Amino acid sequence: MTNLVILPIIIPLLAGILVAFFPRKLSIVRKIAQAVFIGNLVIAGYLFYYVKQYGTLILETGGWAAPYGIVIVGDMLAVTLVLTTNIIAVACAFYAPKSLSDQQESYYFYTFFFMLITGVSGAFLTGDIFNLFVFFEVLLMASYALIVLGNGKVQLRESIKYLLLNLFSSMLFVTTVAFVYSVVGTVNMAQIALRVQEVDQKGILTTIGILFFFVFATKAAVFPLYYWLPKSYSVPNPVVSALFGALLTKVGIYSIIRVFTLIFTNEPGLTHSLFILLAGLTMLFGVIGALSTNNVQLIIAYNIIPAVGFMLMGIGIFTEESLSGTIYYLVHDMVIKGVLFLLIGAIVYVAGTSDLRKMNGLIHQYPLLGWLFFLASLVLAGIPPFSGFIGKLLLMRGALSQEEIIIVITGLLSSLLILFSMMRIFIGAFWGEKDSNSSAEHKSTRAFAWPVAGLLTLSVTLGVGAEWFYPTIQSIAQYLMSPEIYIDSVLKE
Amino acid sequence: MEIIMSVLAGLLFATGIYNLLQKQLLRIAIGTALISHGAHLFILTMGGLKQGAPPILVEGIKDYTDPLPQALILTSIVISFGVTSFLLVLAYRAAEENGTDNMEQMRGNEHD
Amino acid sequence: MLFAVLLPFIAAIFIPFLSKWKEKIHTGFFVTLIPLVVFIYFVRFAGNDFHPVTQSYDWMPSLDINFDFHLDGLSLLFVLLISGIGVLVAFYSIYYLHKSEQLGNFYVYFLIFMGSMLGVVLSDNVFVLYSFWEFTSLSSFLLIGYWNHRKGSRYGALKSMLITVFGGLSLLGALIFMSVITNTTSIQGMINEKGLILNHEYFPLILVLVLLGAFTKSAQFPFHIWLPDAMEAPTPVSAYLHSATMVKAGLYLVGRYMPLFAESDWFFILVSGFGIITLCWGSYMAVRQTDLKAILAFSTISQLGMIMAMLGFGTKAAVFAAAFHILNHATFKGSLFMVAGIVDHETGTRDIRKLGGLLTFMPISATLAVIASFSMAGFPLPFLNGFYSKELFFDAAINLGMTTNSIKGFMHSLIPYLAVFGSIFTFVYSMYFFFGTFTGGKNVSSLPKKPHEAPIGMLISPAVLVGGVLIIGLFPKLINQPFIHHAASAIYGAETKVHHIVFWHGFKLPLIMSLTVVAFGSILALSRQRWEWVYKYVPGFLSMNKAYDGLVKRTETYSASITNAYMNGSLARYFRLILSAILVVTFIVMGLTSGFTFSFAHTADITWIEIFVALVMAAAAIGTIVARGRLAAIIILGVVGYGLSILFVIYRAPDLALTQLIIETITVALFLMVFNHLPKLAPRNEKKSSVALNMIISIGFGALLTMIAISSHSSKWFDSIAEFFIKNSYKLGGGDNIVNVILVDMRGLDTLFEITVLGIAALAIYGMIRLNKKKEGS
Repeated sequence: MTNLVILPIIIPLLAGILVAFFPRKLSIVRKIAQAVFIGNLVIAGYLFYYVKQYGTLILETGGWAAPYGIVIVGDMLAVTLVLTTNIIAVACAFYAPKSLSDQQESYYFYTFFFMLITGVSGAFLTGDIFNLFVFFEVLLMASYALIVLGNGKVQLRESIKYLLLNLFSSMLFVTTVAFVYSVVGTVNMAQIALRVQEVDQKGILTTIGILFFFVFATKAAVFPLYYWLPKSYSVPNPVVSALFGALLTKVGIYSIIRVFTLIFTNEPGLTHSLFILLAGLTMLFGVIGALSTNNVQLIIAYNIIPAVGFMLMGIGIFTEESLSGTIYYLVHDMVIKGVLFLLIGAIVYVAGTSDLRKMNGLIHQYPLLGWLFFLASLVLAGIPPFSGFIGKLLLMRGALSQEEIIIVITGLLSSLLILFSMMRIFIGAFWGEKDSNSSAEHKSTRAFAWPVAGLLTLSVTLGVGAEWFYPTIQSIAQYLMSPEIYIDSVLKE
Repeated sequence: MEIIMSVLAGLLFATGIYNLLQKQLLRIAIGTALISHGAHLFILTMGGLKQGAPPILVEGIKDYTDPLPQALILTSIVISFGVTSFLLVLAYRAAEENGTDNMEQMRGNEHD
Repeated sequence: MLFAVLLPFIAAIFIPFLSKWKEKIHTGFFVTLIPLVVFIYFVRFAGNDFHPVTQSYDWMPSLDINFDFHLDGLSLLFVLLISGIGVLVAFYSIYYLHKSEQLGNFYVYFLIFMGSMLGVVLSDNVFVLYSFWEFTSLSSFLLIGYWNHRKGSRYGALKSMLITVFGGLSLLGALIFMSVITNTTSIQGMINEKGLILNHEYFPLILVLVLLGAFTKSAQFPFHIWLPDAMEAPTPVSAYLHSATMVKAGLYLVGRYMPLFAESDWFFILVSGFGIITLCWGSYMAVRQTDLKAILAFSTISQLGMIMAMLGFGTKAAVFAAAFHILNHATFKGSLFMVAGIVDHETGTRDIRKLGGLLTFMPISATLAVIASFSMAGFPLPFLNGFYSKELFFDAAINLGMTTNSIKGFMHSLIPYLAVFGSIFTFVYSMYFFFGTFTGGKNVSSLPKKPHEAPIGMLISPAVLVGGVLIIGLFPKLINQPFIHHAASAIYGAETKVHHIVFWHGFKLPLIMSLTVVAFGSILALSRQRWEWVYKYVPGFLSMNKAYDGLVKRTETYSASITNAYMNGSLARYFRLILSAILVVTFIVMGLTSGFTFSFAHTADITWIEIFVALVMAAAAIGTIVARGRLAAIIILGVVGYGLSILFVIYRAPDLALTQLIIETITVALFLMVFNHLPKLAPRNEKKSSVALNMIISIGFGALLTMIAISSHSSKWFDSIAEFFIKNSYKLGGGDNIVNVILVDMRGLDTLFEITVLGIAALAIYGMIRLNKKKEGS
């Protein structure tokens, strides 16, 4: 049964290799992609169920026991995120054929897409810090390939910046792994945690922890390391943006959660207070960015950043309640960012421009699109009873129980500004006079709408039906607050 | 010796970063190569230098150099190679499309 | 009760289907039924022997968010107002909104609002209350933007949303804080634990946050500015949301939390202070308006201020008067809005400067208007309910009780005068509204439409409300004990004795105040043209609209300038900022945790050959910076790479050395191939300052990593897991070359995915080159 846990990594890998052999037979490739992602989703769902029922699944690859071989650790946190990842993947697989040109699709889009999912799932599941680096590289390489897909001037330009910044942080990552290996003599995360606890995280260890934080924070887009994000997320095709917005930064956040609940937990006064400070700045600067532009894709891309701030805030406060807030927010944000990027892609498609000042009165022609966007905005801004609210509520309860007033006020203020930035799009693009010259051609948005509506339904359910999800997420937070469970289950001591 | 090697690796990082901060793509690419070298040297050094024989089992020898960092470096070298080659082609294509190899002229604006 | 609250939401789902038949039957007829059902359901609770009713339905028990409905006197008053006025407004809207309008949208928003408002006033659970609270703001946003092709609508909608959601979020902060302190999410539960909140060190913050929520919703100065712009909404909406119900949610909230906060002096100071200022400012500003609905909007602001002030007084009499006035205001203001809608509908304008002399054309509307506006003015006549509550207000204002707090004392002496001042202007705008519209001999032909009386259906709703004005005025007992009394008790937080409402309490101070108002009010109303010039000076700099517009505009421009200051697309800039941040923070952390350690234990000995290789590499690394030509730079880079492979040889890593050698050769070749196509290296041409900055950053970073490396190496506290590999490589892995065994066996997964990375890179490169060739070919 333990082999189950590696399937979400291996299936997309194999499928990716398979479809690379006949990239131009698009009708087959699309069918394969959709079928494989649905299958993978079912497996991820079963994995989730299995782990929930029977506890953490551990696969010792090659039969080498931890800490000597690489272990794949399917705990509740990892399988929850893998499940969410696959939901996004399915929606994107159905959206992609409408959004991409045949040429883009036939230049290995689906292979890269599969590899991205392999990398993301692998990063969630691995229990080995160096292996985490390898999976990071898999997903990054796939993301580089996805950005340049289409080979436009702008994509090339932005992807080079994106690549260079990530390349640097990857090199810093391996260097930091080397440092931690030098001190504790292992690269298995459970054993690192055990050994760091044994010496009370003394000496150089906290510094190494901070380096890890910066490595992950660059991926997660925490202030002041997110400069690469807005542009490189707004220039690719919407389906690529959706995958990035939903998945990539979340891998960074996941890694911060993992490393700072499992390994570096002994100096919260220093490290976690730093997180709270950076969380506040991330929220503010992110939302300021979202208000600074009239490019709708850029507005959505900037809106990734404050969400990262919220999640980091929960890690910084470091109580069970705040961590469950972070995880709730993480799942919520993956879904809603997917929704928003897919939606904004459809909006740009029907409006023929991404400049807000050139849009007008779209709701008269595209009411469905308009109301989906309105609802998505409410979800994003954390209006109750939608999913953003539940996460935010937990985070703020956690913060106020620690009397962290300033971060709460910052969070509330940025919620207001997030709503403002979204309503600027709603009012500017959807309200107003019906545009007389565009009324001639009505573009069909039906194909766009289904994947979006599906994800949005899930998003709303995550809020209204919080009772179905929260106990699970709370148990994950409890589990994270006692790292010895993870350590014991991996090292079997 | 580890200290000297740490300084050397640090220097490789420093020169790499200095190159990274330049405008021209070639210098930037050279910078990334230097940084990878630095990172690999760090890994090797952190495993401890010359603690024993090369990690190839020979009868009668008990002390071997730590093999794990070497395995990690090998993986990392291959990955870096993949990324670097991609970067080089990308740099060439980006320079061609944008008509310049100067990153400062590839800033872009809000609406493209 | 759950069903009563959810009924409007459920109905809203069906509206889009019903509205397909709107040509045959106006959707409004269906909608009217919904509030009627709700009204009938709740009116059964009213009565002399009313007792609070509590009902709970689980929603999210693990988060303590449940539908806990608590129907007490205050809630009952509101529920009946919401559903009762809802019936009238829905009915009125049938005649107001033409079938060609998007009726489906309108009634969906309308029902969502109604359900949310019911939820606000019934929820005992703070987070459910907050959810409904935000939904009233949102439905108000959509209703104001109903005619969104108008610029004013869009402006007003955004303004109301920003201000009320701002307040909503403040309220949320306070609610979460209070629920954390008292460990309950129930309002009643919080009131029972009020000591914990009142004595908390952050109590002032909590109070301010709650009041921000209430003041923004109830349009208190200086947050009142959204209400006049909300008048862009269709008139039924103005009558319903922006006068009778939604804007009273703030009053409800203050009333609801009064048993908790009232002990604090600051509650009195803030609530009464802002209330009385709002009363005066609103009535003063109302006189200046030229749009009928704008007059009513400022009038609403002023009346809300008056009720707010009474809640702040906190005495039994004041609370009673507040509850009473909430009802009275709904009757006369609701009917006045409807009359304004009729005038607009029948004449095509709401500009009071164009209107006049409509009495002869619209006698019924005029009759309704005269009763309602005189009631609003508080004219001392026994059949006007407005007079009774105004009288009670004066009575409350002069009996504020004793205090030792000096600010409170000062306010005690000031409030009666401000009350009279505000009421004088109330009198003036009431007269101005009625006489300006219905009397005088204006040229009717200049109106956009020829005026005539409204259809009977449109008159029914205002007539019912005016009927309410008269009935309450004539028989206050009808609603006092079964209704107002319970509401007042609920706000006060304890059973109070029944307060009698009588017309004549003798020739006492309140009556003198009323007469003063009438006297001065009449003079000012008649001489309005002569003193109108004051408006040029007084609102001027106090105009909060300018502040709002400036703030919104500045938010956008400052955001743009802040963001553009660092997000300028320059890669070097990004790197500098990122590296500096990492550098500074990491150094600080290292310093704070005394992370730097230095020890020569476990170090290998130093040999000349290594030093030599290291020196060559160092020189070459620096050489890449100073190299002039492309070729030179690439070859020097190669020197570093080959140097590294020599080091690998020295450090007993033969596999590495070999791999490095091959890879370095291929890389150099690739560099040469690619850069054959790139422009030549230009001189670096940097400014001295940027050279210095780059040097500091790069050397700093190198130094940081070196220091961490030395410390890490000096802190080898554990045995490496490598021992296991050395021992078991042959036995379990079946190979002599330990590194290879690790790569293919123990860490096989790494190797698999390292190859994957290479594969992706290859495909991506292939794609880039092929796609390019195609472009050139085509």
